[in-house]
Amino acid sequence: MIQNMNAPNLIQETFIKFKKGSEVISELTEISVGVTPHEIVYSEDKMKLLHYKTTVKNPCPVPVLMVYALVNRYYILDLSPDKSVIKNLLDSGFDVYAIDWGYPSGMDRYLTIDDYVNGYLNNAVDYVRKKSGADKISLLGVCVGGTLSAMFCALHPEKVKNLICFVAPIDFDTDKSLLNIWAKKMDVDKIVDYYGIIPGDFLNMGFLLLDPFRLLIDKYVGFFEHIDDKKTVENFLRMEKWIFDSPGQAGEAYRQFMKDCYQENLLIKNRMEIGGKRINLKEISMPFLNIMAEFDHLVPNESSHPLIKAISSTDKESKVFPTGHIGMFVGSKSQKEVCPTIAQWLKPRSYAQNENKIDVKKSKKNNHKSKEGMK
Amino acid sequence: MDKCESPNIFFAPWLKAWEASIGHIGEFPAVGPSREKTEKMMKVFPLCTNLYSVWMDSVSDFANISLEAMKRMNDKTAHMDGQISQDKYKEIYNNWIEIYSDTFKEFLRSGHFSGDMSEFMSCLIEAGKYNREMLEENFLKPMNLPTGTDIEEINRELYSLKKTVKELNRKISELSKER
Repeated sequence: MIQNMNAPNLIQETFIKFKKGSEVISELTEISVGVTPHEIVYSEDKMKLLHYKTTVKNPCPVPVLMVYALVNRYYILDLSPDKSVIKNLLDSGFDVYAIDWGYPSGMDRYLTIDDYVNGYLNNAVDYVRKKSGADKISLLGVCVGGTLSAMFCALHPEKVKNLICFVAPIDFDTDKSLLNIWAKKMDVDKIVDYYGIIPGDFLNMGFLLLDPFRLLIDKYVGFFEHIDDKKTVENFLRMEKWIFDSPGQAGEAYRQFMKDCYQENLLIKNRMEIGGKRINLKEISMPFLNIMAEFDHLVPNESSHPLIKAISSTDKESKVFPTGHIGMFVGSKSQKEVCPTIAQWLKPRSYAQNENKIDVKKSKKNNHKSKEGMK
Repeated sequence: MDKCESPNIFFAPWLKAWEASIGHIGEFPAVGPSREKTEKMMKVFPLCTNLYSVWMDSVSDFANISLEAMKRMNDKTAHMDGQISQDKYKEIYNNWIEIYSDTFKEFLRSGHFSGDMSEFMSCLIEAGKYNREMLEENFLKPMNLPTGTDIEEINRELYSLKKTVKELNRKISELSKER
């Protein structure tokens, strides 16, 4: 059956590649992530607020607070100097803060979404407002961090000047993502009551099951094919570190998020309550930018897009980029298209005193490279 | 995707036979001084049977889906007979990944899988809870060591205290501003 096969060549080539790869890997020291200079300016329990060192003389007067998801770690936004959303925003003239939620332990199992939104996030926002002297700040919520940011903006609109949701799930009634399908049948109470803190490995197993053959086999075969390239190896190891650096989830917050959002889809219906207060998305009236990834397998566009209709802002825009969920932060388009789009949208809105006076047309013109949002 | 959904024809007869015979042992009423302990320990039979049952169900599902993927792979590579060379390896591998990935994704998307997975998780957790209870009952409590339940209570108390302290701090800060 097998003809014309030059087996010795194949073995020899593979061996040479493996040998070179071993040399490359053994030369590597520590894989560093999140290297953009910063300091911890505020902390509360496990949460830390990071303030990044500005890289321009006169940064925008309105600071940007980046709110990452509770799943995985915030440093995907600052993976390496050449793949850093944070560094890109700093270089574009923004004063950037980010929240590191930390790793919840046993005593955090009773933390609720109310504690995260009206507690930690609210205190972080107040700190940034106080430190910067700005009455309102810009919020950039990433993934579930975008969902939390939308909840915050609905409850505290007076503290936020601009809201950017970055691949954030809002409408959970979709079967485009396997996560949405699986979540519907999960016995959430049983899982939370048993684990308390939902283990990161439990969530990781779910993510790997989304496409087991590509994520557990093909990815590593691809890595082996480029094992002799130092830069590729470094980037691969950084991503591996991030993917499997998965904090556990505070049980009660997880319970409410899974039941209210994934199972009953209450948020988009304006029926979700946290801390006894109903979240009405119509209260979101500040300028709003919704950024989505066309090939997002975790948060399909159908899940993000409805937010633009649910809010009452008059200055609102959607942008879809032809990449995947993770590609939005570390893909080739991230630095060249996604970050410049955010900067160009945010800059005029960070200086304007009156939101109605913003030169939106100019801002839109600058964004010509990105695909227009779904209508 | 009908082809991928497992009818579970293998395990159902075994389960019926088990329930009708040895499975009954667990239902016998316990007697004697260690009655309560025996009753608790007997719970392991139905728990393990349930877990084994849903586990086998999953194994059967994955075996079926692997078979389906294999068939698709054969169909795709049938024309390559006699042409496999070194440079074709990559093509074969790419086909293999694509076919297996797509076939499994079809299955993972089916309601059958999410139902089975949910049931499997549920049984796994029940068995885990039982193990935990037995550990507490038979080892930790007799040795006067804190159990998971005790630690949970402390955690709940800590959370509540922290929340109260934060609320009091907030009120103090508000009052001092008013002054």
